[in-house]
Amino acid sequence: MVDRFWVRQESLSAPFTLPALYTSLPPLRDSLVTESSRLLDQTAAECMPYLTLTKFKTRDLNSHGLQKLRRARHIEFANDSLEELPGYMVVLDASRPWMGYWGIAALSMLRVDLVEEGYRERTVDTFRACQNESGGFGGGHGQYSHLACSYAAVLSLVAVGGEAAYETIDRRAMWRWLGRMKQPDGGFTVCEGAEEDVRGAFCAMVLCSLLNLPLELPPEEMDRVGGDGTLLSGLGEWISRCQTFEGGLSDAPNHEAHGAYAFCALGCLCILGPPHETIPRYLNVDNLLSWLSHRQAVPEGGFAGRTNKLVDGCYSHWDGGCWALVEAALASRGFGGSSSLDSLWDREGLLRYILCCAQNEWGGLRDKPSKNPDGYHTCYNLAGLSWAQNYHVWNAEKEDIDMTAPLSAPFSWSTTEKPDLPCDEEDRVAPMHPIYVIPHEKATEARNYFLNRVGF
Amino acid sequence: MPGYGEDPEWSDIVPLPQDDGGPNPLAAIAYSDEYSEAMSYLRAVMAKNEFSERVLRLTEDIIDMNPAHYTVWLYRAKALFTLHKDLRKEFDWLNPFALRHLKNYQIWHHRHTIIEALASDLDEKSPKIDNMIREEQDFLDRMFTKDAKNYHVWSYRQWLVERFNLWDCEEEREAVDDLLRKDVRNNSAWNHRYYVVFGRPNAPKNTTEGHVLMQREINYAEAAIRIAPQNQSPWNYIRGILSHFQQPLSNIKSLASEFASLEKPDEVKSSHALDLLAEIYKEERQLDCAGKAWDLLAQKYDPIRSRYWMWKKEQLGTAAA
Ligand SMILES: [Zn+2]
Repeated sequence: MVDRFWVRQESLSAPFTLPALYTSLPPLRDSLVTESSRLLDQTAAECMPYLTLTKFKTRDLNSHGLQKLRRARHIEFANDSLEELPGYMVVLDASRPWMGYWGIAALSMLRVDLVEEGYRERTVDTFRACQNESGGFGGGHGQYSHLACSYAAVLSLVAVGGEAAYETIDRRAMWRWLGRMKQPDGGFTVCEGAEEDVRGAFCAMVLCSLLNLPLELPPEEMDRVGGDGTLLSGLGEWISRCQTFEGGLSDAPNHEAHGAYAFCALGCLCILGPPHETIPRYLNVDNLLSWLSHRQAVPEGGFAGRTNKLVDGCYSHWDGGCWALVEAALASRGFGGSSSLDSLWDREGLLRYILCCAQNEWGGLRDKPSKNPDGYHTCYNLAGLSWAQNYHVWNAEKEDIDMTAPLSAPFSWSTTEKPDLPCDEEDRVAPMHPIYVIPHEKATEARNYFLNRVGF
Repeated sequence: MPGYGEDPEWSDIVPLPQDDGGPNPLAAIAYSDEYSEAMSYLRAVMAKNEFSERVLRLTEDIIDMNPAHYTVWLYRAKALFTLHKDLRKEFDWLNPFALRHLKNYQIWHHRHTIIEALASDLDEKSPKIDNMIREEQDFLDRMFTKDAKNYHVWSYRQWLVERFNLWDCEEEREAVDDLLRKDVRNNSAWNHRYYVVFGRPNAPKNTTEGHVLMQREINYAEAAIRIAPQNQSPWNYIRGILSHFQQPLSNIKSLASEFASLEKPDEVKSSHALDLLAEIYKEERQLDCAGKAWDLLAQKYDPIRSRYWMWKKEQLGTAAA
């Protein structure tokens, strides 16, 4: 099945040479066929005509022979995803904050001016209706507050920026609600009465750091939670329990290592302190590196979420984002300094997967060629593009913000463009903050606003 | 079916219509009239904290239209408890529902809540508990025939093991064995096996009992490696075990050497074996050999990860210093 594409590749008369690395099946393959290997082979076969460019017209290709970033069509797709959705999409009714965030973040990465396009008022109005008096944001009007919804709501408001957006957030109520989500074992439940997982921990830390919330527990939660009486109590230790024997991280202790949860866990640690301090303090970095490296799929070049699972465009962000944080953590071991390497993963491979396999011709990005594009995969493929196209460095010296306040570490990141990739200027997306996944300056602006605000 | 508005049973409720947020909200949904009306009644009953039979029917109706609605699931659970309903009946609609909505995960938290409540009403030694566990295991096996890697189902299964002390339960290891016999690359099954064997509180470490267990599990993984040496799952499993027992990797040098050797650089059968061999060389302070093995991976057997292999090689320099 797969081998058929060799013929095609050889007969291709494109003026570009196709690097064998990105168009050949892995050198080592077992003959035993199981459901997993059948699906892996099927996916490789599905991607091969895109990787070998047989699906594209010459005018669709950039100067290096990869499909161009279809920027205008993706902007249209992201704009449409924020308009009224048809009734059959009712299953997204509890995920509207996510839809909002994915669209807003995608447009930011595509360098659309959100304020000019009228998104500020719409974002403020939308999330005002999702906020609960008892603190936090739910999936919609009258829905329970949820940490993932609160995360999406606050990031969207911070991305559009401005006083009206910031002042929409009831920080005092948010703080009290976070206190109720905090658990005695160090983690956070995502919603009152719901599961405790690493998404909860990450989202809570995103909220605390961006909104400059007090870290002491609300007095009414002190006895229940115990520990040192703060929202951070036992958190690093709890995250460390989520590292599995494979080296990756799971949603909660003992579950299977998974890319999306690994990103949440690393993001959480990088809010607690500088990456080169907190990541090695709480995790076995060598095991983490081994697991993360092996998530990059051959020949597709994109990422998979777990061992022996399939490449999928959304992991361009989840795993690619891990790389941004992990590379910064290795600075203390010589990476970016004495090391001769400029990167520990194959950025070109990811770039090729996103540009050639994950773009829908008519706009929007997708899991893999056989899947339809959606807001989630559009946002996270574009974020992956940003991780591939830029270096992310943590640097203690920053002039635009007061670094003495607690949870300041996430405001010390800087991004520089990686040269020598097979993409043109038009294929580049905007640099993003590697933890918040919104533009750096938007995160800093919000932080500064809340640092200077007296009282709640 | 007449709407809630025409139903005399609901005539005392003033529905609370949805506020989507302003004149031009983000990603508003053009709800069907049925959904919109049901949600308006739900908001109204939630505002006055009503838990009743009609509320249960209302939550069922909404979940049917939108199974991903976490608020409705949580409110339903509260209603079931407040009304002291027979919780076993909940499974009559929950089971077929789970089989229809494989990707839905709210359902697994709900199930967890219900089983926990049922169990806490029973004596730990009651045969009813055994029955319940067996029914759960059977149902999970059915779920796995549809999707053997469903993350939330596996998480639920782990909770079940911990909650009901199933560490020595034959069915648990057998269920995993079955799945691995069908697909030795099912990493979720490997993860579960690791949990059942080594995740228990006070799992044996360096005792005689511990070493017997260690050998048994290494043998198990070895057999899996022999049928597909490039499958990473059993290699990770063995490395996890050795680290649990704080044993050196050189314990499995002969296994690694079977599938990779520097003497026969053209006959490597597994990149995982070759990496393991490199690590063993590093352990044995044969840094040149370790470097050669990683070179081989970078250049020949696993070039997509060449930078990672080169990083490991570079780090040998710091290990030597
Ligand atoms: Zn995906």
